[in-house]
Amino acid sequence: MKFSFKLLLWTMIVMAISLGFSGFYFVNYVFETSLEREIGQAADENSILRFAFETAALNVPVKYGMLQDDTVEQVASNLEGAQDVGRLLRISDEEKNILYASDGFEADEALLAQTGESIKAYRVINMDGKYYINTGSTVNALDRMLYLETLKDVSEVFSERTTGFKVYRRMTILMLVVGVVIMHIISSWLTKPIKLLTKATRRMEAGDYSYRAKKVSDDELGQLTRDFNRMAAALEDNINMLEEEIQAREDFVGAFAHELKTPLTSIIGYADMLRSRKLDEEKSIMSANYIFTEGKRLETMSLRLLDIIVTRRGEAKFQYTAVGSIFEYIRDTFSEKGNFRFEYNYDDGVVWAEADLIKTVLVNLIDNACKASEQDGLIEVSGQANDGYYYFTVRDHGEGIPYEEQAKITQAFYMVDKSRSRSRNGAGLGLALCAEILSLHESALEIDSEPGVGTSMSFALTLTDERKEAQEYEEDKEVKEGETDN
Amino acid sequence: MIKILIVDDEKPICDLIDLNLSAAGYECTSVQDGMKAIELIDKEKDEFDLILLDIMLPGADGYDVMDYIRPLGIPVIFITAKHEVKDRVKGLKLGADDYLVKPFEIVELIARVEAVLRRYNKTEKLLRAGDVVIDVEARRVTKAGKPIVLTNKEFRLLRLFVENKNVALFREKLYEKVWEEEYFGDSRTLDLHVQRLRRKLGWEQNLVAVYKVGYRLEVTE
Repeated sequence: MKFSFKLLLWTMIVMAISLGFSGFYFVNYVFETSLEREIGQAADENSILRFAFETAALNVPVKYGMLQDDTVEQVASNLEGAQDVGRLLRISDEEKNILYASDGFEADEALLAQTGESIKAYRVINMDGKYYINTGSTVNALDRMLYLETLKDVSEVFSERTTGFKVYRRMTILMLVVGVVIMHIISSWLTKPIKLLTKATRRMEAGDYSYRAKKVSDDELGQLTRDFNRMAAALEDNINMLEEEIQAREDFVGAFAHELKTPLTSIIGYADMLRSRKLDEEKSIMSANYIFTEGKRLETMSLRLLDIIVTRRGEAKFQYTAVGSIFEYIRDTFSEKGNFRFEYNYDDGVVWAEADLIKTVLVNLIDNACKASEQDGLIEVSGQANDGYYYFTVRDHGEGIPYEEQAKITQAFYMVDKSRSRSRNGAGLGLALCAEILSLHESALEIDSEPGVGTSMSFALTLTDERKEAQEYEEDKEVKEGETDN
Repeated sequence: MIKILIVDDEKPICDLIDLNLSAAGYECTSVQDGMKAIELIDKEKDEFDLILLDIMLPGADGYDVMDYIRPLGIPVIFITAKHEVKDRVKGLKLGADDYLVKPFEIVELIARVEAVLRRYNKTEKLLRAGDVVIDVEARRVTKAGKPIVLTNKEFRLLRLFVENKNVALFREKLYEKVWEEEYFGDSRTLDLHVQRLRRKLGWEQNLVAVYKVGYRLEVTE
């Protein structure tokens, strides 16, 4: 069952019950008050009649010293006729035998049993569909004690009650119908945020993660909508990130497969040729050489990949490293390479880093610079301390990187000039490795290159004040040791 | 002579294909760059009978080169490491005649090349090995002018040997190519057929068994 329908139904049930009860109570209250009043009037009338009777009886000439039955009859009929209102009365003697009764006075004599001297009694009776108030009292006239009964027609009070109920029932039904319409509108207005949320959920379920629920109120449901949208946004971000990650991984696997298959084709092909064909010596050596070099290429690639995987796992040992030692190492490594002119220029400083990894980055950058440079080209390796950062820069004056390629060069297996890079044993993984290492150091490679002019690759590491940091480090360690002691 | 252009950015792979196709009697030219390939095709328009084309190329990629070649009507076989179905479909839709995925075996390459050339009626109709002449279309074999009757399997076996002269053919390969079934180490059938070929063609000396490999047809050209 829909929530709005439930809301409507329950409101209607509560409304019907309360209207019913209050209506019943109200009509009944009005009826009872009216009846009470009528009873009061009937009692008054009874008293007046008694008094009138007693007065009349006194004025009647008395025979034999007592009131005769026919005299009573006469007085009673006078009383009845005197006020022309169709008053009904009945008079009985001491033995409760009826002496006089008006026309139409057909009530039974049950009331007389309750009436006694100085005891007035009344009752409401129903005769032939009409309601009457029957009152009874005693009359003392001369030496006789007579019973006086009156009958007052109160059908109107009862029919008013019936009418009241009827009207009230009609009103209730009308109110309920109007209520249903109004409550229907209200409940669908109240549940609108829920409907919109449901719609949004369905849309998202169907894969439309950018869909947002419309916020239509400021209450708790509006809050819920806002939170839902916030959650959806977070979810969308995550999904996009995952998709990008998956895409990147697929690209990587695709490129990896391609890079793997190329040397494998040569290796398998030449090996196949060697095993199935009689080749002359020159061709045999050429084939074997190709198998060797392509095998080497696979080796380089697998080692680089291993480096990347190890770096990604982030098991680096960071320590305070003086940049001087790094540059010394680089100078030693490339001193053998006579084809290029190297220029070193660096400030002193200490960085928090894994020295071996930073060396790897620099070696890769310088290797790339060599690959891009002509014979005897100048390669500048520099380091500058500036504003709390230490900037490492490798600059060459080679062929540069075309602008449209610059964003892609840190992707794994991406090579600007494939055939040239291959001939120098490149696997297209060097810069990808650098990017991984630098991201581990919370840094990134900045590439500034102009085709035909040269390339400058740089990255920054946070410069540390060794003594201060070392002190803090020691303190940290002490605190930690203290914690473990506890 | 049939001329084949090889376009692949890997020198070793170009050399590999060149060596094997040359040995099978084709004349090969190879380039390592897409733009150079287009220039070369442009210069010698009707010279090439078949082009073997890599897809990932510097200069212009294989698809661009293919676009350029299509109006010329030269048959093309893509040779590439891209193995996904969508890549193959794309290559074939562009008008390539066949698609060979790296790494490939030499026998496979030669068979594909033969198949495409045959489709274009560019193969030599008569294959020769010594004094044995095979008319592929007529399915007729003669030795020194005398007709030789061969069964279907024997004919296919013979053709495989003649197409790969002086190449040791592995049992698995022979079996798969001739019987078109997977080889499960049952060499009796193959041995019997080779035996019959030897007898019918008088090739007891030429069809030599290669230890642990298979057979090789040795003929001096």
